[in-house]
Amino acid sequence: MKPTAIIGMGNPLMSDEGIGIHVIARLQQTILADRTDILDLGTSGMRALHELEGRDVVVFVDCALMGTEPGTIRRFTPEDVETKKIQPRLSLHEGDLLNTIALAKRLGTAPERIVIFGIEPKTIDPGETLSPALAARLDQYVATVREEVAL
Amino acid sequence: MSTAAPTIKTKTIDINVRHVTRLEGHGNIVVRAKDGVIEKNEWQVPEAPRFFEAMVRGRSFEDIQTVVSRICGICSVTHSFGALKAIEDAMDIKVSAQTSMLRLLTHYGEQLESHALHVGYLVAPDLLNQKSVVPLAASHEDLVKTVVAIHRVGNLVMEKIGGRKTHPIRLLPGGFSMLPSEADLRELMHELEDTIPRLETLAAAIADLAGGLPSFERETEYVALVNPPTYPFYEGQIGSTDLNTPTPVADFESVVNEYMHPQSTAKWCKWHRESYAVGALARYNLNADYLQPLAAGAAHSFGLKKGVCNPFLNNVAQVVECFQVVERSLQLIDVLLSTGITQERPRVSPKAGVGVGAVEAPRGILFHKYEFDEDGICTRANLCIPTNQNHANIQLDFEAFVPQIIDRDQDEVRHLMEMLVRSYDPCISCSTHYLNVEFV
Repeated sequence: MKPTAIIGMGNPLMSDEGIGIHVIARLQQTILADRTDILDLGTSGMRALHELEGRDVVVFVDCALMGTEPGTIRRFTPEDVETKKIQPRLSLHEGDLLNTIALAKRLGTAPERIVIFGIEPKTIDPGETLSPALAARLDQYVATVREEVAL
Repeated sequence: MSTAAPTIKTKTIDINVRHVTRLEGHGNIVVRAKDGVIEKNEWQVPEAPRFFEAMVRGRSFEDIQTVVSRICGICSVTHSFGALKAIEDAMDIKVSAQTSMLRLLTHYGEQLESHALHVGYLVAPDLLNQKSVVPLAASHEDLVKTVVAIHRVGNLVMEKIGGRKTHPIRLLPGGFSMLPSEADLRELMHELEDTIPRLETLAAAIADLAGGLPSFERETEYVALVNPPTYPFYEGQIGSTDLNTPTPVADFESVVNEYMHPQSTAKWCKWHRESYAVGALARYNLNADYLQPLAAGAAHSFGLKKGVCNPFLNNVAQVVECFQVVERSLQLIDVLLSTGITQERPRVSPKAGVGVGAVEAPRGILFHKYEFDEDGICTRANLCIPTNQNHANIQLDFEAFVPQIIDRDQDEVRHLMEMLVRSYDPCISCSTHYLNVEFV
């Protein structure tokens, strides 16, 4: 396990919902990271728990409804936000990354530095392509994430 | 728990638990009662159309398992295997004994991690009066750490063999693109051996708390893979507690009998009765005779009898299955290490055909069916997920259960109904994940 991880979350079959996976795929193609794991964790938020433990830095890239213009990328920490998701906990599949991070913090296994890059979607309908507003900015997202971990 | 007839009181119950997502699979609990008279009592599943079936049409047989693994973040291995088995059935592709064993091992890893997650993160908070696993980690830190450790090992199995913790990348029609090393298998063996005492800790905790599960029972038909003398997850025919002889997997459409229901845009299923149930309890009721020793011992300590029809005990059966898959995994690794890993690469040629794959997801039997043209391009797909097979059964449970509890406070009725839905470990809203945040 490397001290830093960049983790993409989301589903590339649901158009912009998969933006985190698109960014990760681009990063995996373009960098040789000795000290950084670059991981596609798909839609299973709770698995992220095991990627937080033992790291110094974890950077998440995920689709996020933030009330901003589609395509906007915004950097925040878990402390900067509150979830607006309503979760009756009927299913394991209601995963919320913020909940996973909260559990890691409660267990004392979260790294000191957790950064989330949220990217506002245009659409999260079924489809395998990003909407133009996001596709046009993919290079910018990759550069922003690289800058965060100084790759 | 009391199951006495409801006391008529002058009060109104109005429950409307809406699982708010912007699209596809979600479930609502709606109950309305006035003065003890139930006016509405529904499990509603407004799920969007099955766009994944459309997505695989026109794709090569070599890509299908990668696409369908994205249907679900929890059952990604199971969906991959459903597809691979259907593809191999359609094209008469035979796999080696080594491939079958490695697949089974990966599949056991997914059962272990999913069951641990469900029992530890969703059921345990119910039994310990906590709103979620986060406060549970404060009140019962050791229990949560035990669950996390079990979950981690399940993930590790999938990573070492499938190549990734989720959405596996090494699974191909006919075999694997890359094989684990013997050192990987030895690591897994040690981790799985260390998992047994953790499972004993989890089982002891659940045994202490299982008395808190409602004693509700309703007879129903249970459906799962059967393959005597094994407790199958990956291969077999379709068994039913209403039948003495199994049904071939190729005939699954005559088993699921999908139909539209006005409460739901997801299809519902029924076979010999108005509903049937799939999942750990169904597997247990059909295959309990073939459990491994530790799993059988756990079932005995829980007092879990074959033929049990309390849906809440599905969660207890999940704990039993955790032992089962760990015991079987250790046996498989032992065989693989004894024979050594043979470097083999699948070489398959496409051909036209129709194939069906049936595998047990942690939450019940899953069917995939595909048609291919002579170039191996998918021309038709039909996927039937376990949760859809459980919808009618959940509704009939509501109709039997709610009259037994309607005299209770609204919050308690709602909580018990949520527990009932949770006991099925449903796959709801599993294809999206996005954050929805407000800056503070």
